[in-house]
Amino acid sequence: MTAQFKTKHGYEGLLIVIEGTDGSGKSTQLELLKKSIQAQSYGVMVSEWKTSRLIANVIDDAKDRNLLNATTYSLLYAADFADRLENQIIPALKSGFIVLLDRYYYTALARDVVRGQDIEWVKNLYDYAPEPDLVFYLDMPVDVLLKRIIGTTGLDFYESGRDVGFSTDFYKSFEIYQKKCLEQYNNMKSEYHFKSIDGTLPINKIHSIMDEEVQEILSSGVLK
Amino acid sequence: MLKEKHNYKGTLICVEGIDGSGKSTQLALLRDWLKSTGQDVIFTEWNSSELISQTTKLAKKKNMLSPRTFSLLHAVDFADRLKQVIDPALKAGFIVLADRYAYTAFARDVARGVDSNWVRKVYDFAIKPDLAIYFDINPKDSMERICANRAPKFYEAGMDLKLSNDPYESYMIFQGRVIKEYQKMVDEFGLVKLDAMDSIHSKQVAIREMLKEVLTAKGVNL
Repeated sequence: MTAQFKTKHGYEGLLIVIEGTDGSGKSTQLELLKKSIQAQSYGVMVSEWKTSRLIANVIDDAKDRNLLNATTYSLLYAADFADRLENQIIPALKSGFIVLLDRYYYTALARDVVRGQDIEWVKNLYDYAPEPDLVFYLDMPVDVLLKRIIGTTGLDFYESGRDVGFSTDFYKSFEIYQKKCLEQYNNMKSEYHFKSIDGTLPINKIHSIMDEEVQEILSSGVLK
Repeated sequence: MLKEKHNYKGTLICVEGIDGSGKSTQLALLRDWLKSTGQDVIFTEWNSSELISQTTKLAKKKNMLSPRTFSLLHAVDFADRLKQVIDPALKAGFIVLADRYAYTAFARDVARGVDSNWVRKVYDFAIKPDLAIYFDINPKDSMERICANRAPKFYEAGMDLKLSNDPYESYMIFQGRVIKEYQKMVDEFGLVKLDAMDSIHSKQVAIREMLKEVLTAKGVNL
């Protein structure tokens, strides 16, 4: 029997985050993790970045119309996060769910700082967020990311950081932007205790690494 | 930033106070007069940005906002207007008249239980006004003025805080808290306090005098 595990946020449930840049394979892993937890009769809830009913549409619409500056960009995402946290995530944690999150505020820290915001200002926006019990970070080299994204969704204006004005060339801009985001993630690794996983490993291998970590917590009997 | 004097060519004036304190009337009188003297004036009001104000209004109608989301949505509105309207107008040398400013957030959000340091940091990007006037009124007089023909609205009465089931009673408690926050800010941010119960004329005289002083210091003569 492992030593009694204590959640870091004090709620009954577990908060597990998968972080990584676009195209790092987060959604695939989230789906696999959800299935393996479900199979063991635990209550699972998934919540993805920028999906609050209230604000997600506003962000999409504002992006379409190029209405955002760096400050409104940060604050809108913070509002989306606050809405999801208070209406979905915390209630689920309180009732003992395992909450799986596709991105957490680390995403905002990376993107907003790359957009020129002061890191302490951004940290303040999210300082009330509960600390996750596990943060998986899918580490991907930028050249692999570039190929993945170009081969699937294609380059998006904001995901390429075109709004920041690094370069008018789409490819160049994407490369600079994603590199800068990766730098920010690297800086966060130790501060936020990321479990960093090589994102170029086969899907099943990554899943079994994550599953093992989750099982270790579950076997402590924290949710029984 | 709200503590540091700005270096823009223009001048930023804001009015603050709870609903029914007469601030909008005073600002409208000031605006008309400034325009008649040929000044370049721009007016901006709380929760009016193209980006978000409709969303906020809709969410308020559905009573679906937590205090923190409420706070952040108003910050989005403010940031949008600051960067798109206020900042460029100040650079171009306009007199910018703002009906409510960041202090409204500090008063209302803190009255809703949001941490006062947190919300001050959120608005760290705001520009310090050259003149910030606070219209002091007690909750009862305010309620008599704005609720003459209607009940207090959900958020304006702070009904989201479940202080009382009676909107009138809730309004009194909630706005009392908001006023307390405003009063603290008089010293903290150097807000100039005016008595809302004074006559329209005497308040307008006082405001014009203060504005003239500010403009003279900037080398602008009215």
